[in-house]
Amino acid sequence: MALATTILGSAWLRPFNDVDAIDDLLSVVHPTWALGRIKARVRRVIAETADVKTFVLQTNRRWPGFAAGQHVGIVVEIDGVRCERRYSVSSAPLGGRTLTVTVKRQPGGRVSGWLHDRIVAGDVLELTAPAGDFVLPNPLPASMLMLSAGSGITPLMAMLRTLAAADDAPSVRFVHVTRDRDATIFGDELRVLAASSPWLDLHVHESTRDGRFDASALARVCPDWATRTTLLCGPTAFMAARRVEWEAAGIAGRLHTESFGAGIGLPSEGAAAAEVRCAKSERLFTTDGTTSLLVAAERAGLRPRYGCRMGICHTCTCVLRSGAVENLRTGEIVREPGAHVQLCIGRARGDVTLDL
Amino acid sequence: MNLTTAQIDELGRELDAIRSEITADLGERDAAHVRRMVRIARGSAITGRTLLMFGIDPITWTLGVGALATAKILENMEIGHNVMHGQYDWMNDPALASATYEWDNVCDSGHWRRYHNYEHHTFTNILGRDRDVGYGVMRVSAEQYWRPFHVIQPVSNVVLSVLFQWGVGMHGLDVPRALRSKIGRVRLRRESGKFLRKAGRQIAKDYVLFPLLALWNAPRVLLGNLAANVIRNVWSNVIIFCGHFPEGARVYTREETRNESRGEWYLRQLQGSANIEGGRLFHVLSGHLSHQIEHHLFPDLPAHRYAEIAPRVRALCERYGLPYNSGSLWQQYGSVLRKIWEYAWPTQVPAPTPTPA
Repeated sequence: MALATTILGSAWLRPFNDVDAIDDLLSVVHPTWALGRIKARVRRVIAETADVKTFVLQTNRRWPGFAAGQHVGIVVEIDGVRCERRYSVSSAPLGGRTLTVTVKRQPGGRVSGWLHDRIVAGDVLELTAPAGDFVLPNPLPASMLMLSAGSGITPLMAMLRTLAAADDAPSVRFVHVTRDRDATIFGDELRVLAASSPWLDLHVHESTRDGRFDASALARVCPDWATRTTLLCGPTAFMAARRVEWEAAGIAGRLHTESFGAGIGLPSEGAAAAEVRCAKSERLFTTDGTTSLLVAAERAGLRPRYGCRMGICHTCTCVLRSGAVENLRTGEIVREPGAHVQLCIGRARGDVTLDL
Repeated sequence: MNLTTAQIDELGRELDAIRSEITADLGERDAAHVRRMVRIARGSAITGRTLLMFGIDPITWTLGVGALATAKILENMEIGHNVMHGQYDWMNDPALASATYEWDNVCDSGHWRRYHNYEHHTFTNILGRDRDVGYGVMRVSAEQYWRPFHVIQPVSNVVLSVLFQWGVGMHGLDVPRALRSKIGRVRLRRESGKFLRKAGRQIAKDYVLFPLLALWNAPRVLLGNLAANVIRNVWSNVIIFCGHFPEGARVYTREETRNESRGEWYLRQLQGSANIEGGRLFHVLSGHLSHQIEHHLFPDLPAHRYAEIAPRVRALCERYGLPYNSGSLWQQYGSVLRKIWEYAWPTQVPAPTPTPA
């Protein structure tokens, strides 16, 4: 199998194995046809709340299927720039090629804003393979606590829908923390499901009405939380607070998490020491934030490719995986994962991961 | 024409401003342009190869060669050369990334990136540093020392033109320098491997794979592919030679370019390059190398933008009293041929030119 892939991918067979070219040609015939890419047509757009929309997608045959709780990448081209973001699949995996993705509009968010403002039924999106290990435990425990806040409900909704469609579901206490009734995503569906499912116990904690959600609130809505396997998803601060509580009770092993909103750190103000992670060579080095990434790498003993060292020849260009890099020539700050940065004129603004 | 240091700095700032303006404006229009070019090149290649493979008469052969040659010209010049310069890196599209793009000719992309993007564009027209001045086989400026083999350069010019992709490929090996030292020879062995592998793949594709697929039409396809390659060779050679060899483009010495300021770098790019005038189709088919001046000032801006930048650069030159070397294809190439004839024979090496400033 590996030999076949090597032969089929060999440069000696070009242009016949140029998958990008084949995909482009296929897309001229039919927008979702592709050999190497997962494409999906938007069947419906559902407005869940004022700033949350669900996109019902029907994929092409490249869709590999997924497990409830995993996330999928959505690729859009905004003003010519290819941007990818990962979103949890909110539907249950029932075979077939239909899935739903529920997206919350991030304030100032480039991709979420684009999806909300520009994508309508009939549009075609590109997806990347589903991934993630935040899934239902196998075998299922006898009792579970599903705890979510805000848009963190999306992967848990997929799991809940999966359990609802199965024959024997464990006892599930579903606790969702939200601002108010209007901001509750899937509110109606949750209430209907809870009413018709004896194994499901639903509690919606509305912060405006019930106050902040803390350890005492948790004990109130789920007194036996320490005995249940817990699946947790929500904003970073919410999850950090819960993790502290679980660790204090000595049951950190029963807490399974998916992080939402992590990794979108703001670029540091001015020059600050930062850590640079090299994904390919698995090296790590620090920079004081004043010199270019190229100089910092060389001081740390690495030897990245370089040419003119003044931003013209693009020899030192590499791909940014995460973090923010400032372009010393223009002052522009690049934060898009997958963007190209030139090491000789780039400066780390906070911790950064490079494809180096 | 002598500019003060302050004037040169100001020139640098004005050019930087143009660059920032265009960079901020890059968007859907530019992405659409390069995607359209890629589609046209691919469609042209498929059409050409199909006509060659399935036709039986000279007319479809000629049309096939024309289509395939157009495809190769577009892919090499408007797409490949420009993508590898990083002009479209901002799109975050892996298929158009400068570091990994592999173009359709025998030159290994890694070699090209090093000797063109880095060496040629950084040390443009500096004698002893820019190997593109004469490509090591020709004498194209009075300042270059005459060697006996230069007398045959009118002939080597024609041979190089017809086999240009091979010249471009082997230029990456820097054979004369490699043979001068032991470590050079070790390096040459390693780099030759890369070149031979790329050349091998190209030969296999155009002269083995496609002819074999055509079964009984193999000779027709083989000849057609050969013709298309030669057309691309000659066309790209003519355009590229018009970039720095026409009358008026000057060369520099290492001494006078030591510790160059940014403004002085811009000035050298300007004075070492020459433009060719023409219509929009001509510009696209030349990969916008017809705007060699703008390309050398801004090598990593999408090339189709050079046409709108050119009037501004021209106006800048007028204001600073700088010459803007531009002419028709016949004028520019004519002066290149005249130079190749003239410098084939020993001429007096002129006194060092005064430093600009």
